[in-house]
Amino acid sequence: MKIAFDQSTIDLTPNGRNYKAVSDGKTVDVEVIRAENGKLDLLIDGKHITAYISSDGAKRWVTVNGQTFVLTKSSGTKRSGAGHDYASELAAPMPGQIRSVNVSEGEAVSKGQTLLVLEAMKMEIRIQAPRDGNVKELMVKVGQTVEREQILVKMEEQ
Amino acid sequence: MFSKILIANRGEIAIRIMRACKEMGIQTVAVYSEADKNSLHVQFADEAILLGASEPKESYLSIDKIIHAAKQTNADAIHPGYGFLSENASFAAAVASAKLTFIGPSADSIRAMGDKAESKISMKKAGVPTVPGFEGLESATDFKKAAKEIGYPVLVKAAAGGGGKGMRVVEKESELGEAIESARREALNAFGDDRLLIEKYLPNAHHIEFQVLGDQHGNLVHLFERECSVQRRHQKIIEETPSPLLAPKLRKQMGEAAVASAKAVGYFNAGTVEFIVDPDTLKYYFLEMNTRLQVEHPITELVVGSDLVQWQIRIAAGEKFPFAQKDFSQRGHAIECRIYAEDPANGFLPSTGKLLQYIEPRGPNIRVDSGFTAGSEVTHFYDPLLAKLIVYGESREVTVQRMQAALSEFVVHGVTTNIDFLQAVLRHEDFKRGDVSTRWVETKFNWKPGGPSFQILIAAAMADMATPRAPTRLNANEADPYSPWKTLSGFRN
Repeated sequence: MKIAFDQSTIDLTPNGRNYKAVSDGKTVDVEVIRAENGKLDLLIDGKHITAYISSDGAKRWVTVNGQTFVLTKSSGTKRSGAGHDYASELAAPMPGQIRSVNVSEGEAVSKGQTLLVLEAMKMEIRIQAPRDGNVKELMVKVGQTVEREQILVKMEEQ
Repeated sequence: MFSKILIANRGEIAIRIMRACKEMGIQTVAVYSEADKNSLHVQFADEAILLGASEPKESYLSIDKIIHAAKQTNADAIHPGYGFLSENASFAAAVASAKLTFIGPSADSIRAMGDKAESKISMKKAGVPTVPGFEGLESATDFKKAAKEIGYPVLVKAAAGGGGKGMRVVEKESELGEAIESARREALNAFGDDRLLIEKYLPNAHHIEFQVLGDQHGNLVHLFERECSVQRRHQKIIEETPSPLLAPKLRKQMGEAAVASAKAVGYFNAGTVEFIVDPDTLKYYFLEMNTRLQVEHPITELVVGSDLVQWQIRIAAGEKFPFAQKDFSQRGHAIECRIYAEDPANGFLPSTGKLLQYIEPRGPNIRVDSGFTAGSEVTHFYDPLLAKLIVYGESREVTVQRMQAALSEFVVHGVTTNIDFLQAVLRHEDFKRGDVSTRWVETKFNWKPGGPSFQILIAAAMADMATPRAPTRLNANEADPYSPWKTLSGFRN
């Protein structure tokens, strides 16, 4: 997938658990070791960096090693990467218990539809479809306890 | 001692003052404008009173509204902070007439020092060296004659001035007429007073100021100097103490001159006597006295170990100093960097917006005085100071390194800041040698921001592919746009 910021373009290709990043003739291996609120811990060719990232429309505020840049994502860049169905799996944001499963496998769902409800820290968290599609596989049952980042449901294109 | 103090200010300084009050067991009242209704200083206070619209003159500059708020909340004293009404003699007088205590010097002292022309005359009388120049000139011909006698370059500045407003450096006679006119206009706008004075401009001068502290029983001490030569547009951005320029003998002389200046106007409370020092001759000249708490007061607090705000309150309450000059010494080194919401690559233009992320550095000997947090709005109504990063160390070298490390941990997203610019100054050989004059940023320091590194691009792209397309949300209850919710799916294959 090619992403363009201002004058620069970067090409990210999934490569096993990692990504291959190419920009300006340079290629590196990128591994995500942690992702939290506006913060990414990455291993870039084995070197650990912490990046702080905020989005504001097309603007990306990025801080690495104390240096901050505001990048503007160029318009017209397609995000649909070949073979990288990035939003096909929905994971639990935090440990909790499945309160309800509102859909069944094979069912067509529309963007924003609640697929299941997770209860965590006394809050009900609705897991919603990020776009139109079909429920490919339900990975959990009502009452089941799930870990953070555990896959709850897989989706596919209609 | 007072039981309740109203703080007639906003942002970091309001919070700084409230902390001192809380430590002393004094109740606090915040005042605020429409734009500040969700700001930290309002949340930090025991009570808060809305003054009015966001424009300063409808809120933080409204003497009547502030005194009314103090009466309404039964406060017994008002702390003005810095800026706004802090050096307004009419405000100090109005506070006193309302049977409240003004936490600052007398209205007479403010008046005597507020006028740059008058104060210069009284300093000359007190035997304090002043910059060669003239006061009370009117006509263009008089200015021309004076400038010729002093010798170019000259500085034209507002008699009622401060903060770099109504100030012009004039290199040659052909520029004088225009400089006088524009300085007059700016002075009239900013201070309602277009009187100007003219003096010799010392292009390589250092700005070195002395902290003074006086009680209401005639005791006056100085708490040494602050070197404030790193400036942009006549405004300080980095301050440190001790000054790399001063040897003990000169420090002692200047300290004594600072005390003499303050004595000449019967000064009590905290004040700052500013000098300019010619690094070649090591001659020093009185510049002006700020009759209030200074933005950069924390560096003095760190090296002398005193709490200046607590002392302001004690002095105003009538306490007598339990110490004398000999009880003070400088220990270690302290530096302050002012974190501004501004764009150094674009003429230091203020930057406004909502803070998307705001992470302060932490660690031993790191102090952050701030009035903002993630989600805060930086508006165009007020000064763009976001925070003051103050660090302490046993030597200058150690302190500079600590500041560099601390700055690199400071994360501010949503507004452009001067953090990278500050880092570049700290890295510069001239700064390392302590060889920086007040015009150094303008004339010698050539800084341009670099382009984003590969790491930056990778980070931006990774975050980008990890967030869902458009602002679609996995979860409608989710108010936080940076939630890991959205970042998860992209990291899985």
